Formats: sequence, C-alpha cells, structure tokens
Amino acid sequence: MRRSDDSDGIQVRDLRVTLAGRRVLDGVALSVPCSQVTGLLAPSGAGKSTLLRACVRLVEADAGSITLGGEDILALDARVLRRRVGFVAQSPAMLPGSVADNLRHGVDSLGDDELHEALRAASLDPAFAGRTARELSGGERARVALARALTRGPRLLLLDEPTAALDDAAAARIGQTLRGLRDRGLGICVATHDERFAETWADRRERLT
Amino acid sequence: MSSMVAKVVAAVGFAVIAALLSLRFRLGLAREIGVAALRAGAQLAAVGAAIALVFSEPVLAFAFVAVMALTAAVTAGGRLRELPGARVRALIAITVPALAATGALLLVGAFSFTPRSGVPTAGILIGGALLATTLTGRRLLESLRDEASEIEARLCLGDGARAALAPAIRRAVTTGLIPVVDQTRSVGLVTLPGTFVGLILGGATPAEAAATQLVVLLALLAVQLAAGLLLTELMQRALILPGERLAPLLLER
Repeated sequence: MRRSDDSDGIQVRDLRVTLAGRRVLDGVALSVPCSQVTGLLAPSGAGKSTLLRACVRLVEADAGSITLGGEDILALDARVLRRRVGFVAQSPAMLPGSVADNLRHGVDSLGDDELHEALRAASLDPAFAGRTARELSGGERARVALARALTRGPRLLLLDEPTAALDDAAAARIGQTLRGLRDRGLGICVATHDERFAETWADRRERLT
Repeated sequence: MSSMVAKVVAAVGFAVIAALLSLRFRLGLAREIGVAALRAGAQLAAVGAAIALVFSEPVLAFAFVAVMALTAAVTAGGRLRELPGARVRALIAITVPALAATGALLLVGAFSFTPRSGVPTAGILIGGALLATTLTGRRLLESLRDEASEIEARLCLGDGARAALAPAIRRAVTTGLIPVVDQTRSVGLVTLPGTFVGLILGGATPAEAAATQLVVLLALLAVQLAAGLLLTELMQRALILPGERLAPLLLER
C-alpha cells in the first residue's frame, strides 16, 4: 500500500462559504491525504456537502484556500480539477443510456477492459455494463457513480453520504470497496453522519462543527 | 346594415353566446369573457386608430414597431423572472431576428417598403419571436431546475458548463419551435392561417395569398428558431459563472 504525505491530497484552510446570504461554512479546515480513507463527520445540515462541493469548485468560497497537491485549486481548470478529484453526490444522477454509456461519458476511448475494471473496483459485476442506468436501485446507482468517477483516473474521491439509504450489509460492501480503492493509492473522503461507519471503515476522522 | 356594423354586431353576438354558455354550464367564466371581449374591442379600436395614424405618418411606423417590441420583451421577461436581466435578454432575442427578417423581406421586395406592409410584417414576426422566446425560456428554466442533479453529475465528470447544459438547451429550443413547425406542416390542411384569410377577405387572389402566407410562415420558422437559439445563448451567459459553475439559481437546492 502506497502512503504519501498530506501535500499530495487536498488541504482546506480557514474556508468560508456563503450561500443565498447564509454563512454555511466559516473557518473550516480539512485534510484529505492520498492512500487513506478520511471520515468527515458532522450532523445533517452542518455543511458537509457544501465543503465537498467547494473542493471541486461547484460552489465558490468567500475566503480561505483549498489546495490539491500543494496547488491552489483556483489555478486549475475546473474540468481538470473535477477529473482529478471525483465527487459523488448523495443521490447521484444517472445519465441516459446504459451503465457503460455512463462510464464512457467524456472518456470515449475507454476500452472494455478498463470499463470492467472500474466496475469491479466499485464492487460491481462487469455484466452491469449493459444495464439501463436509470433503472438501477439506489445502492447500485451509488456504485455506478463511483465506477463512473473512477474512469476519469482520479487521485482523490469525495463521497457525500454514500451509505445514507443503504442497509448495514450494503453499507459494509461500500466500506470494503473504499478500502480496496485506498489500497490502490486513492485518497478518499467520506462525508457521513454515521459515526459507526466512520469508526469501522475510515483510517482517520475529521469533525465538522 | 353596413358590413362594418354587421361585423361588430356578429362579434358582440358571439361574445354573448360564449357568456351564456358559461352561465348555463356554471363555468364561472361569464364575467371574464365579458371583460375580455370589451378589452379586445377597446384595444382593437385603439390599434385601428393608431395604425391609421401610422399609415398617414410613416415616421410613426418605427415608433409603433418599437412599442410592439418593448411590449413583447416585457411580456416574455415577466415569464422568465428567475433569469437575471430577463427583459433585456428577451428584448434582444425577440427584436434581433424579427427585425432582421422584416428588413430582409422589405429589401428583397417581398413586401412593399411602406408602413402598410412593414408594420404588420414586423408585428407577425415579433409575435412569433415572443412565443418562441417564452416557450424556450420557460422550458429551459424548468428543465434546469428539474434536472439540476443530472447537470451537476455532468460537471463532476469533467464536462464544461456549456456541455453540461447542452441536452437541456436542445430540448428547450425544440419545445419552442413545436408550434410553428406544426403550423407550417398543417397549413392549408388543418388551418387557414390569418395572413391567408386576411388577404383573401381583402380581395387578393388565392395565389397571391398563398405566396404571401408561405413567405410569412417560413420567415416565422427561421425567426422563431433564431429567437430560441439567441435566448438560450443569452441565458447561458447569465447562468454560467467562472470556473465552469452554474448560477446558484440552478444548482442550490
């Protein structure tokens, strides 16, 4: 397992975000190193989603800084940033077409082998490739969204409440999947309100207050 | 009874029939029908007087067209309130294609360069552009709200903001064009459109009326498509923020 220092991952310092006139985050810090699973713990409504979105520039910070591998994310092309840092929303939307269409979106050159590997890395059988993406269950969608993010070759993955709608067994499968990805060198940040999940599957925990 | 008086009497008769039907079937529309009929009468009388003035003073034709364009922009802008600067954007989307097409039709001699030809032509094309602008804009705003998570997913997969919006834009432009496409397809089979009927009633030959209707319909098709495309371009400029982000109106839930 490759271990790397914090400078490879994401560093958030003194972040302040205001949305629709409401201060959602103020003075927030977060570290997401590579090759580790970071559990970002906070109750619902504390701003976990906003923090993760800010890390991929879906929302703009008023103050503070976010760096990726030591480089300010504002200096990166947002499209490049979002390929290096995969973000999977709590209820990820499936694009029209098959699971394979979803995984190949924006990466037309993706071969069958790479596609199947991404599915396996997300603990999905390669036979899923032909399924209609919008007909999948919530848990299956979460895995397909994970596989879809992996086809961009990210360094880091940010997952927003990936186990929110899952039973214990399905949540455990997600936890095992995340460990498998961590062992391949990916840095993973799981935003969750589930203390037990973070305790079981995260290598380190940060708390958003 | 003169033809004009007969027309007014017939119009009042139809309004009364509609109001009586509403009363008989308790639709609660009788008052609304009465007010709408009175408004239509007053508005048409006023517009008739104004047009008579415009025909006698050609300079007023430009002012009349400007009022039509501004009214259309205010109407469309009111339907697109969520959009920053909706009225100005609607004004551009409506007037640029409508007035360009009017100018082209007058320049090539399809219609004579007089207020009598220019004002109604501009009016028809502004009206068509208004319809396309409103339908396209509404559909795009709705679809951006309903499909916010899909658009965000596309952004997260590395699409640029324009690429992420492209499917919604295509659907909106298509929706805005449906009425004029259907009208063009069904002309003469299902409906006899206003220009054709007006010219026939005014004494033109059927061939002249058909040729005029054809050029109006196809100009409308082009103007409405251009208006829809222009509006979506102006909407994207308002909604796409630096860093391939979308304005909070779309993605904040």
